[in-house]
Amino acid sequence: MSWPSPGRAILRAAVGFLGGLALWFALSAPYERLVAGAAEIVLRTAERPAVTRLVARGGEILVDRSDFPPAAPRPGLPAADLHFNFVILTALFALATPLRAGRAALALGLLFAVHVAALCCQVESLYATRLGPWSEANYGVFARNVWAAAFHFYQIAGRFAAPFAIWWPLALWDRTDEKPAQKGPARRKKRRG
Amino acid sequence: MKEKNVPPAADDPAVRRRRSYAFLARFLLLLVGFALLVSWNPVNDAVIVPFTAGVARASALALNVLSENVTVAGTELRSGSFGVDIENGCNGVETALLFGAAVLAFPASWKARLTGLVLGFLGIQALNLVRVVSLFWIGKHRPALFSAAHTVLWQSVVVLAGVLLFLLWASRQKPAARAEA
Repeated sequence: MSWPSPGRAILRAAVGFLGGLALWFALSAPYERLVAGAAEIVLRTAERPAVTRLVARGGEILVDRSDFPPAAPRPGLPAADLHFNFVILTALFALATPLRAGRAALALGLLFAVHVAALCCQVESLYATRLGPWSEANYGVFARNVWAAAFHFYQIAGRFAAPFAIWWPLALWDRTDEKPAQKGPARRKKRRG
Repeated sequence: MKEKNVPPAADDPAVRRRRSYAFLARFLLLLVGFALLVSWNPVNDAVIVPFTAGVARASALALNVLSENVTVAGTELRSGSFGVDIENGCNGVETALLFGAAVLAFPASWKARLTGLVLGFLGIQALNLVRVVSLFWIGKHRPALFSAAHTVLWQSVVVLAGVLLFLLWASRQKPAARAEA
């Protein structure tokens, strides 16, 4: 892999960004369903009884519980905030050529795992801090702080840092896989004439 | 005859990989520390909120040059019936934290780090000013585009610019320092 000059880097990043943006707009809705489904499985695994349902609809992830009163409004979480960092990852991958499909797939898998974990933290943070007396009855002070801090960290820094933290070791992988130039006597050019 | 322990060469791929992971670990630790620091109420009230108010005043100045007749109240910009409140996440601080953590985690001289931090912060804030001004203009004149421009477009552009600035700075450090990361 070769590192481009600053001008080329900006150009490549812009191309990767626009490509990522097109994909993001096209695939956001099914991707949100996928993330919501995976996060629901994780959350229900830790619940006794398993009551959480996550439904991706209209750019939001609606949080439902089978023990919510039927008439109560279901809280919605903005989905774009969760996964817009996909376009940052595509821009970073466009910085270096050639694009390694395996590494790009690995990066996407890691980013998906980050999105699922962030959504789980967001739902737990909602349960722990925004449901009034129910939150206080079911979550202790420590648990409330942990879930709120975990989601707050994702909001303030994690969502921006995740693409870089995923991309950096994969990009370096390329650099360190390069074999160092073999030292030896320089071959003389044949003189013609 | 005893075999001597020869330290691995700095350009050994395994050594470079290990040092790079160490850079990543330092970066993430610093980022968590910075995030905790700016989330702490006394720091937020004494530093972040006044800084955001400064961003609002600078944005109002630029918008008024563009004849938008903007007034400022704290962190809020208003023009006629349209107004926006510049919140945490829109003041460029998060990208500056990301950039700062990366620069401080990277093996370089303190002089190079300080220069990088100052220039990077100024670059990020200049871009963020363009972001706030353009978002205000979009919100007032093209409100249908505001949400996408705010959440996806500009947030990503500012963060990406911060990462590119870091890569540019890192690529200009001495080869010995680059080999360490």
